[in-house]
Amino acid sequence: MGNLRTLLRLAWRDAWRRPLQSLFFVIGVSIGVAMIIAIDLANSSANRAFTISTDAVVGKATHQIVGGPNGVDESVYVQIRRELGYRDSAPIVEGYVRVKTLNGQPMRLLGVDSFAERPFREELGTAKIAGLNQRSFSAFMAEPNTVLIGANVSDEYRLPIGESLEIQVGSYHHKLRIVDVIASENRRIRRSLKDLLVTDIATAQEIFAKIGKLDRIDLILPDAPLHTTALEHIESMLPPGARIESSDARHGAVIEMTKAFRLNLTALSLLALVVGMFLIYNTVSFSVIQRRAVIGRLRAIGMARGEIFAMILAQATVLGIAGALLGIGLGIFLSRSAIGMVTTSINDLFFVSNVREIDVSALTLLKGGLLGIAAAMTGALIPAYEATRVSPVGTLQRSTIETRTRGSLHRISIAGVAALLLGAGTLLPDWHLGLTFLGVLAVLVGMALLTPSLMRGFAALAATHWLRRKIPILGNMAVRDIDRTLSRTSTAVAALMIAVSVIVGVSVMVGSFRMTVERWLTDLLGADIFVSPPAVANSQMTEKLDPDAVKLFETFPGIARVATARSVEIDSKDIGRITLSAITRDIAGEKRHYKSAVGNHAETWDAFRSGGLIVNEPLANRYKRSLGDTITLLTDRGEVPFTIVGVVYDFDVRPGAMMYDAVYRNYWDDPHLSSAALFVQPGVDVDEKIGSLKSVFGGNLELVIRSNRALRADALAVFDRTFSIFIALQMLAAVVAFIGVLSALMSLQLERTREIGTLRSLGITRGQLARLTLLETGLMGVIAGLIAMPTGLVLAAILIYIINLRSFGWTLQMQLQPSQFTLAFVVALVSALLAGIYPAWRMGQMQPAEALRTE
Amino acid sequence: MGSSDSARKPLIRINGLRKTYREGDQHHIVLDGISEEFYEGEFVCLHGKSGSGKSTLLNLIAGIDAPSNGDILIQTSEGGITLNRLTERDRTLFRRDHIGFVFQFFNLIPTLTVLENVTLPLNLMGERDAYEPAASLLNAVGLGTRMNAYPDRLSGGEQQRVAIARALVHNPRFLLADEPTGNLDAETGESVLSLLLHLSRSAGKTLVMATHATEIAERADRVFHIDSGKLILHKG
Repeated sequence: MGNLRTLLRLAWRDAWRRPLQSLFFVIGVSIGVAMIIAIDLANSSANRAFTISTDAVVGKATHQIVGGPNGVDESVYVQIRRELGYRDSAPIVEGYVRVKTLNGQPMRLLGVDSFAERPFREELGTAKIAGLNQRSFSAFMAEPNTVLIGANVSDEYRLPIGESLEIQVGSYHHKLRIVDVIASENRRIRRSLKDLLVTDIATAQEIFAKIGKLDRIDLILPDAPLHTTALEHIESMLPPGARIESSDARHGAVIEMTKAFRLNLTALSLLALVVGMFLIYNTVSFSVIQRRAVIGRLRAIGMARGEIFAMILAQATVLGIAGALLGIGLGIFLSRSAIGMVTTSINDLFFVSNVREIDVSALTLLKGGLLGIAAAMTGALIPAYEATRVSPVGTLQRSTIETRTRGSLHRISIAGVAALLLGAGTLLPDWHLGLTFLGVLAVLVGMALLTPSLMRGFAALAATHWLRRKIPILGNMAVRDIDRTLSRTSTAVAALMIAVSVIVGVSVMVGSFRMTVERWLTDLLGADIFVSPPAVANSQMTEKLDPDAVKLFETFPGIARVATARSVEIDSKDIGRITLSAITRDIAGEKRHYKSAVGNHAETWDAFRSGGLIVNEPLANRYKRSLGDTITLLTDRGEVPFTIVGVVYDFDVRPGAMMYDAVYRNYWDDPHLSSAALFVQPGVDVDEKIGSLKSVFGGNLELVIRSNRALRADALAVFDRTFSIFIALQMLAAVVAFIGVLSALMSLQLERTREIGTLRSLGITRGQLARLTLLETGLMGVIAGLIAMPTGLVLAAILIYIINLRSFGWTLQMQLQPSQFTLAFVVALVSALLAGIYPAWRMGQMQPAEALRTE
Repeated sequence: MGSSDSARKPLIRINGLRKTYREGDQHHIVLDGISEEFYEGEFVCLHGKSGSGKSTLLNLIAGIDAPSNGDILIQTSEGGITLNRLTERDRTLFRRDHIGFVFQFFNLIPTLTVLENVTLPLNLMGERDAYEPAASLLNAVGLGTRMNAYPDRLSGGEQQRVAIARALVHNPRFLLADEPTGNLDAETGESVLSLLLHLSRSAGKTLVMATHATEIAERADRVFHIDSGKLILHKG
């Protein structure tokens, strides 16, 4: 114990003596930990918000009867309750609405039958509806357009009983009168009430235009052995198009949709800590070299190698803990921004999600903190081992370490090649996505391990006789200083190289992606004007378009043709839930890009009109479906197999398919439309036409009427929003790399104090000294930039052809732009130069006489 | 100071030079208002115990440290200058052009070859043709065959010989040497000293050397003993 105390004291004193280096170490760990925690908290909070809200409305239901896009007929409920005698059943009509009164926030509106609720959602308070005071209960039951809201919402927005809420569903607005508030002692329920409006089922049916229909029938089925019998019993009486499924399965499928997105975020959030490990290695390594005399003395007075090792690791651990604690605080702080970005993306891409608070999970904090400490200890392992090699006379000189580094260069390079091969071996087979990311890490580590050799190659080139004579003496010194201190400079260069290569990789991927999507949208959006009802979120395309509006479009002056689409979510027996678009004509026409199709455009269209299905690439890739395969969809006529006649490029994250409108109407009893695309007559001004359409509908019906240019811009805005968090993460990793270079330069400068003193006494000016430092850092930046370019290109190829394909099923065309590489090179150079400014200034301030006195 | 001194031109004149260090609340007086003149071509030895202020005086004369009080006047071909009143940059440039420095620990630049270490002062001065004088001096110190070696490949004596060549290559007005044999064995030290004296005398350079070795002091034209911050003429 006393021994441990001594070790810790020694470790602590050293950390304290080098405050700036220790600070860099702590910052490196803290940014890494903060990123992991911020993303993990954002991801888990989004999941938890969804789970809490879903759990609350699912209540104790074990199963649900669900139907097609138009739901289940009310008569099914009557049959189950009355004829089959399942009293533990409750009808539900639900959907998302935008509440104008509450600043336009989306809320889930749950329509319930008060008399059936008791066994299901007791905690939610819907079961207590019957126990409301007589006046409230009568109002809720008998009066249309009445609503219950959470007591917390009522308090927060000062909406007492009797006030009205204005809600919007698609193009339509409704006013709901608050007849009572629901309070709960349960924290989870209180949270779910923040996003919930409860109405009588009849009101909900009216609001969502589902008269006579139910979205689902909740059931509480008995446990085994009666369970199977009950299931079979109910299944046998269900009409075609309706089916029974467990509540958990349905919820799980929604969460599953975002899995790849979350995994991509998590992988990038780990990047800063990986880069941070280089910084840690450098800092600890510097500390060991600086203390070699002290370590020698400690060895001389009897400290064992193991104790030296423990002392160095103890120091790293102490600083790692400090970094982890700081990172936890910073992570919680950053998670507030991250949750906003993650929620926006989930709403844009997947489903409506309203996350209002961060769930600070102790497990997440512990995980992030431990990862930070583990990274600190791992980064310190090699320097700690180096420290054990110091002989009792403290003879481990800088040059000895450099000689050793050079001596082991071939081994380091072999390890680099091995890591690259391991990366390739992990990336090429289509394994789990997590393993794919490990493959990416292996490639990055491989390139980092090859960095010292590549740097030596660069130095050897510069050391050629011809070049030596061409470069001024300061240039020669700069090149050789980098080479001489390879053990240190190569780590800094590798860290910078990784950060910059990620910038190259991600920007090439995002650039390629954006360009591919832009071209795809240009080809796809063949119509001139697009009309849709306002959606609660970009991911919600299933709102209903007023049929009168569509009729009006068809006869509107200047409009040549109208194409309509009905977007619905359909369950498939074999691949889960898909987004189905029933279309009357292909707005892309011959510009539609098929990945594969049964024939040319006309032939494929004929096959499509005859009942074929055109699926999107994410569906085909993720579920391994190709031309000629069938997908069995649950229609209102029962399960029907549809043959795939084409696979189209598409950049939705969800699996989707297109069906000819007439075929859809044949299999589903759904009279609604979701959107319309208008083709104007030749010579008609599109913007002017949009203006006149808006003036016709203005005030009566809220519609989103956009030109194809505006729709494309809106789609690209969603794209940019989605990637903003990825860009933010890579920038933070670059910040850590920058600190790494700064830390390395500070270390080198301190080590070279005497040499600087000599140079100053020989007459080198402060300006020349600054130039020498900046030349060195600039060269380090140049080398990092040069190695980062091919590394970034490889990374971009992996992201485009492997990660994106496996995560989301998209085929992207790689588009290389010189500006992406130039920018990355400039980032490497400028960050290295910036990192050199402070050390250069410090060197200039050093008194030559003081510097010469340094041991 | 002897009567013959009046006929000789002082190259370095130090006037009321005082250097104090602050350590906590206490002031340590290293040099206590010393005044002296050093002449062209003479070999002056500063003798004293460790920590007596020998190196401090050399550093002040070199302009790499600043006095607390007093002046250092140096005569150049363009006239006299007060070194400590120059700007930092001008002091550096003056040092580059007019002073050669030999250190106890050689202080060669490890990233430069022997030849490059020697050409460094000329390179810093912007001399394009630095090879000839550097090679000539390296031949003179017996290291003509080691020009492309790096310092870590040389023995201590060899490194100090390179340092001497480096100190002389730009034809400085005077040489400062701080314990140049302090880190060498007796035999090597003797040969290095002889070489330094030979080269400085043959070039007519003033050599101011700090040492605690009495045998070196015996070979000097004048010897000053530094004790309690005072400069006491011991010989000459």
